[in-house]
Amino acid sequence: MSPRREVIVASPLARDRASSADRAVSTLVKGGDFLFVSGLAAVDPQSGERVRGTTASETRHILGNLKQLLEAAGSSLDKIVKVNVLLHSMLEAPNMNEVYARFFPDPPPARTVCGARLPDDAKVIIECTALA
Amino acid sequence: MTEKLPRSVIEPKNPRLNVSRGANLPHVPGIRVGHYIFLSGMGPIDPETGERKHGPIAEQIRTTLSNMQHMLESVGSSLARVVRVHVVLADLADMPEMERVYCEFFPIDPPARTAWSMQLRFGNGCEIECVALAS
Amino acid sequence: MRELIAAPLPGLDLRQHYGHHQSPAIRAGGLIFCSGMLPIDPGTGERRHGTLTSEAHVIFANLKLLLESAGSSLERLVQVHALIYDSIEYDVLNRVYRQYVANGPPARTVWTAQIEAGFKVELDVIAVA
Repeated sequence: MSPRREVIVASPLARDRASSADRAVSTLVKGGDFLFVSGLAAVDPQSGERVRGTTASETRHILGNLKQLLEAAGSSLDKIVKVNVLLHSMLEAPNMNEVYARFFPDPPPARTVCGARLPDDAKVIIECTALA
Repeated sequence: MTEKLPRSVIEPKNPRLNVSRGANLPHVPGIRVGHYIFLSGMGPIDPETGERKHGPIAEQIRTTLSNMQHMLESVGSSLARVVRVHVVLADLADMPEMERVYCEFFPIDPPARTAWSMQLRFGNGCEIECVALAS
Repeated sequence: MRELIAAPLPGLDLRQHYGHHQSPAIRAGGLIFCSGMLPIDPGTGERRHGTLTSEAHVIFANLKLLLESAGSSLERLVQVHALIYDSIEYDVLNRVYRQYVANGPPARTVWTAQIEAGFKVELDVIAVA
């Protein structure tokens, strides 16, 4: 049987469609057994505005939003299998990690962290794959 | 004991798009495993000649995504079955143009995506990889 | 269901050695998702900085250990993200990489990224369980 593909969350910015206009991205897509979550930058879930802060505070925003996103889709942080963290600088890895560790119960997912040039002045972008 | 998922190699119908074979590189265009297809990162290659095709970023994105479409359709999948895309640009300033062209390829229920910038090889302006559901 | 794949040797437990909040690998849906593998001594966890070539050899040996402890192998790799610190080392990467994937290499994307601890290479892989 062909596995189903379904967009679970088109955009987290439900009230602010304008900023996601012309962006062909779904935030959360189900395919087969897994949920594929787009790279998330720090966004205020109420206003949909980008939140700019330290790497630590942006990490906190992102993971808080991710928790809500997954739970709304019937999944959860403890069902995540793999996380990719992109940082604007690897010097910030410990700051990111300290916040990150507070969100994930044992055993935490597999993870890869690297430094890259991030869009929109983001300090950190986090994407993940979770079990549906 | 759970059975191991079957794993097979994905190849494009157009051999000029089989960059790994053409350049004798240690990878394959893609792997199908169970219900999933994982494609190797693709750059802007001219499907007529097999050569790199540079120029404005919009054209590079269009070439790359067209080739990705061909790759998936070669094995009975399609862009509509893509679940995750990674778009890497050599220059962050190319994001808006990338968005503009990318939309054309994923008009309905687009996949999850993460886009960022890194140093790319061969003067490529973009490199795109994806995970898709098989046929 | 997702299952933890624990470090087969203590050095591969980056959480213990470096406080990295991650598991070495997770099995789910018939696949094994590995954390980015680094050139660290699998026994002691010490960093093994070197050339890209020497670091890649350590990484592949670690991946072999980890995957085989989980009932998989390098032959069952599906996708690799090969992170290198500078794209000038692309050919060097290929030279060492091909030694380990000769029988049916997986899909691969090479990323030129900033890697932790100044390492020159890191491999982020998915394999069949």
